[in-house]
Amino acid sequence: MSPGFTQTDFLSIMPEMLIFGMGLVVLLFDLFGQGRSTRNLAYLTLLTLGAAGYLDVMLLGQFLPGFGGSVIADDFSIAFELVFLVVCALTVLISIRYLEDRGLNHGEYYALLLFATGGMMVMASGRDLLMIFIGLEILSISSYILCGFLQQDRRSNESALKYFLLGAFATGFLLYGIMLIYGATGSIALQDIRAALADPATFQNPYIWMGLGMLLVGWSFKIALVPFHMWTPDVYEGAPTAVTAFLSTGPKAACFAALVRILFEALAATRAEWQQVFWVLAALTMTVGNVLALHQDNIKRMLAYSSISHAGYILVALVAGGEEALAGVIFYALAYTLMNTGAFAVLILSSAGDRERVNFSDYAGFGYLEPALGAAMFVFMLSLAGIPLTAGFAGKFQIFKAVVGQGYIWLAVIGVLNSVVSIYYYLRISVVMYMQPATGDSISTRPPGSVPLYVAIVGSLAGVLYLGIFPGGWLEMSLHSVSRIITGG
Amino acid sequence: MLISFYILAALAVGGALSVVLFRSPVYCALSLVATFLCLAGIYVLLNSEFVAAIQVLIYAGAIMVLFLFVIMLLNLRSDKPLRHSWTWPKLLGIGFAVAIIFQLIGIFHSPAARMGPAGKYSTEYLQQKGAVEVVGEVLFTEYVLPFEIISILLMVAVVGAVILAKRREPASTEQTP
Amino acid sequence: MNEYLWLIPALPLLGFVLNGLVAPRFGKGFVKVVGPGVVGLSFALSIAAFCEMLQAPGQSITQHAFTWLESGGLYVPIAFVVDRLSGLYILIVTGVGFLIHIYSVGYMGDDDEYAFWRFFAYLNLFLFFMLLLVLGSSFLLLFVGWEGVGLCSYLLIGYYFDKDSAATAAKKAFVVNRIGDFGFIVATLLIFMNFGTLEFAEVNARAPGVLAAGGGLVTAITLLLFLGATGKSAQIPLYVWLPDAMEGPTPVSALIHAATMVTAGLYLVARMSGLFVLAPTTMAVVAIIGAATAFFAATIGMAQYDIKRVLAYSTVSQLGYMFMAMGVGAFMAGIFHVMTHAFFKALLFLGSGSVIHAMHHEQDMRRMGGLLKHMPITGYTYIIGALAIGGVPLFTAGFFSKDEILWQSFASPAGHPLLWAVGAVTALMTAFYMFRTVALTFFGESRVDKHTAEHLHESPWTMTLPLSVLAVLSIVGGWIGIPHVLGHGVGIGNALEHYFEGFFAKVPAEVAHHEASTELLLMGLTSVLALGCMYGAYVLFSRNLARAEALKKALSPLQKLLEKKYFIDELYEWVVIKPVYYTSKLLLWRLVDVRIIDGMVNGVGNGVRHVGGALRIIHNGVIENYAVGIAVGAALIFYFLVY
Repeated sequence: MSPGFTQTDFLSIMPEMLIFGMGLVVLLFDLFGQGRSTRNLAYLTLLTLGAAGYLDVMLLGQFLPGFGGSVIADDFSIAFELVFLVVCALTVLISIRYLEDRGLNHGEYYALLLFATGGMMVMASGRDLLMIFIGLEILSISSYILCGFLQQDRRSNESALKYFLLGAFATGFLLYGIMLIYGATGSIALQDIRAALADPATFQNPYIWMGLGMLLVGWSFKIALVPFHMWTPDVYEGAPTAVTAFLSTGPKAACFAALVRILFEALAATRAEWQQVFWVLAALTMTVGNVLALHQDNIKRMLAYSSISHAGYILVALVAGGEEALAGVIFYALAYTLMNTGAFAVLILSSAGDRERVNFSDYAGFGYLEPALGAAMFVFMLSLAGIPLTAGFAGKFQIFKAVVGQGYIWLAVIGVLNSVVSIYYYLRISVVMYMQPATGDSISTRPPGSVPLYVAIVGSLAGVLYLGIFPGGWLEMSLHSVSRIITGG
Repeated sequence: MLISFYILAALAVGGALSVVLFRSPVYCALSLVATFLCLAGIYVLLNSEFVAAIQVLIYAGAIMVLFLFVIMLLNLRSDKPLRHSWTWPKLLGIGFAVAIIFQLIGIFHSPAARMGPAGKYSTEYLQQKGAVEVVGEVLFTEYVLPFEIISILLMVAVVGAVILAKRREPASTEQTP
Repeated sequence: MNEYLWLIPALPLLGFVLNGLVAPRFGKGFVKVVGPGVVGLSFALSIAAFCEMLQAPGQSITQHAFTWLESGGLYVPIAFVVDRLSGLYILIVTGVGFLIHIYSVGYMGDDDEYAFWRFFAYLNLFLFFMLLLVLGSSFLLLFVGWEGVGLCSYLLIGYYFDKDSAATAAKKAFVVNRIGDFGFIVATLLIFMNFGTLEFAEVNARAPGVLAAGGGLVTAITLLLFLGATGKSAQIPLYVWLPDAMEGPTPVSALIHAATMVTAGLYLVARMSGLFVLAPTTMAVVAIIGAATAFFAATIGMAQYDIKRVLAYSTVSQLGYMFMAMGVGAFMAGIFHVMTHAFFKALLFLGSGSVIHAMHHEQDMRRMGGLLKHMPITGYTYIIGALAIGGVPLFTAGFFSKDEILWQSFASPAGHPLLWAVGAVTALMTAFYMFRTVALTFFGESRVDKHTAEHLHESPWTMTLPLSVLAVLSIVGGWIGIPHVLGHGVGIGNALEHYFEGFFAKVPAEVAHHEASTELLLMGLTSVLALGCMYGAYVLFSRNLARAEALKKALSPLQKLLEKKYFIDELYEWVVIKPVYYTSKLLLWRLVDVRIIDGMVNGVGNGVRHVGGALRIIHNGVIENYAVGIAVGAALIFYFLVY
């Protein structure tokens, strides 16, 4: 143990430090800038995210373990960090008007978003169980508070409280799992655990298996896999819409990042077993998420259930393992972020004032009243449904191809069947938008536009189409970044 | 040793159960204090007096006192007795929770179960160097990064508490539904 | 010089973009030029590509546009291939497409501007996807087109969205197609698994080496592919969407639901002939499903009154014919019929559209009659179309292609006299019901109501010109495939056979020898009977409607059964849709969502505003119920992992 730190140590956590530091700065500005427009804080947040993205890109191609190996800046963490930055930036963009409409445009909101993003980044770059856990807790606590940000709204409070209580319950499992694995291997560093598992005696230790089980339960809750998903619809529906967009994309991606790290870097030896568990969970998750989404009349709730099934698709990739499939995880994380946040952005833009338009019937004739917005929504829905030339298709294709390549034909069949079913409810929006006449209830007056919202929509739309038509670039980067995870270097 | 462990453990579990089962918030809080104290006792049995002291100071002392203050200030009483209804999901849940407990007991008694390699911080080492010093040294060298980042975590929690607790008027628009 | 291939699909895409985004600024005139214009250019390029392909070494030309996906040994370029099959297809798609675009200018002319540009935007987009489907060199690109045409079809069926039935029909089409797509996707995955590639050429070439002939795997793959084909090409059991699809505007029915998109399934089977011949079981299934569909749909077509519905069932029936041909290994005959059918069925649809246009959107033949004198061009071209589909010998296109199919189903090694018999009876029924529409619409007493009768008029030239061109094609289009028994004597070869020489894989069996006299005899028999049926229908429905009514009465249960389409829709509703719906609703939603989640939520919100509510929430059961799921899942996972 060396008391001094080298440049590498700090370099490895530069983006995280920047995000956390700027989070504090935003808080301070909010404190001293009372009364002034908080839009500036939002822009400062965006600037921060951009700068962190720049740092990440600079670190690309490096392999920098820092602080005794507890964190690392490698391509895997950087790929995911870029996804988180995109998630956060889109969330900021879609939040500005949403909060202003409710008179809640406070600086803390952006600070919390930055902290949550920092937490996610720590999760992706953490290389021991402690770092990953702390990252997760920062993320979770920020998320609980963000859920309850609409103080006046009962449902928002309820959402925060439920999320908090159940989240704490799941955290208990996670912590217990970490403890058991630490007990059996004597280490929390992923590499050491991997080394310890090479010993057959350790491998047969039931602590390892119980610990693995506890970890799986904890993560399954955080990712909302069936049957650990029940909190999702309530929390998502009650949370502010912008926060829902954030919750359904960022934290899930972060949990997958951490899960991949833990399972492939530390617990690769137990792969045969957790693969089977995930096989069942993936099949359940895709199916239940889809079937429940079928019956929703509230778009927000429908997207909540559909986010469950999308997590199922990503889980399919984990079952397959292998470079191809894990690249699919990264690819899909970005694709899902773009299409899902895009859809939420349209929901927010069309909600006038603090009246939310989240029911299907609110969108009757929307495609004619707002051709451009309607078309954008349509594309997002197509992408969520996995129609070719959109990001959603490219992602699903990558994953299912990898799964079939590994011989899991039935899981692929279940996945394909589910994506076939999902068409039905995604298309329902377009049916309402294009094939039902506008009624008095539907959106007839154009709510005041907001440049950040337009930027978010156009950005996501461009991203969805770009990833759908030219998936090569991001896919190659994803492939490149998982290669070391597989080999365990 | 073993006997005192079992007594403390039983008390801790009993305290935890009463936190859940008592109707009055004050009783709940006091049961929690009892649980924390028992845990501190277990830490002592494990030769980590430092952790035990911290446990008593922070949890049983600071945090729980605050809890009690809040409960009493808000004058929370069990005004309406809450009924526990035994629905089938609940019974199912309890059944499976018990199953999990037995599974845990099962693995601890499994012949293949064994602890991993012990680290260098043996009891002798700690007694020789002093637990506080060792903890301090580790905290500021090997685990300095988690230590620092946890401060962010606490920061978030504090900010969150302020946001959720503070009632404030909407900043720009006056009317709210 | 084949760098221009990408332009063939790209031009309609450009048209879509222009019509969709720019057109609202410039108005209808702009759309009238751009909409058909881009397709016309695309047609010209298709002709150029076709000619080049004819002379090209290896009988195909390819353009690699760019790399789409490249990962782990799978390399998917966006590449366009014009070969014998796709060359013919692009000519049909762009040629007929061009005519129908021109026609639409007249037909949709009355619609308001907004609807007008939307229509052309969709139509152009459809052609883009259809051309992508046909030109794509791999399953993936074909799939893009496959989904794309489905989407456009969906948008266009629901074009008159203010009609409830249109929206329902659109959704039905989409959902049914997705069932087929499922088969397609799984087949694609299986192919990728076994071949490691998705390029058609490679899969076809390596199929005999990779897959055991007649083995379970190849049978599974081809059956799944065929499932996809049945969805797109409206075969039993997935045909139900096509008749409903007639809710769309008539040019759409002509282009998408008769001439092009519905033949995509046939294209797929023909494209994969190398795989299909390895699976005799699948081939038999294809042939039987094809024959059954042909027969079944024809019987329904006999009892419909909506002119477009008759044509729709006739399309289903004719598609069945083509599948029957493919099923007996006569891929060429199938594709031949695809082509001639595109001509005369587009003609018939456009003719019916012309009538509907003149009748102010009346589609019931019971309120038509005697229209020939009001709209002669429409009338005569329609009759030519009916003659062609009825198979009037020697000078209509339909005769040659239909006869080829019938003969192959009899004589091919995979054929069977029973298939021939079903096909022949179907042909007679086709002749009958087509002339029933002719007689009811154009001959006999006028049953048109007074108001409409005053406004009866021939359609504008934009509509009659395409009709005339298609009428000519419906006659001469068959001459490229004159059978040897007829052509040999007068020195005319079978151009089509020469064209497709060695292109399709062959069913591995020795060819039985058949006397030319047998072929002539069968040909003559069906022709004469078909002529008789036409004449019978004409007489019955133009001059003796009363007798037709009496006949109907006599056959009333059968008539009812046919008119109601064998109650198949109702059957599906009760056997498939309702059970699935209620199972999911009752079992999953009610039990899991409502009982455990929704039911609890409602009781919760009330107390939360008080701080005390925070504690109450813990006690009132919601959270506990959520936790139940976690506990159950956790216990099961632990059990699996540890014990």
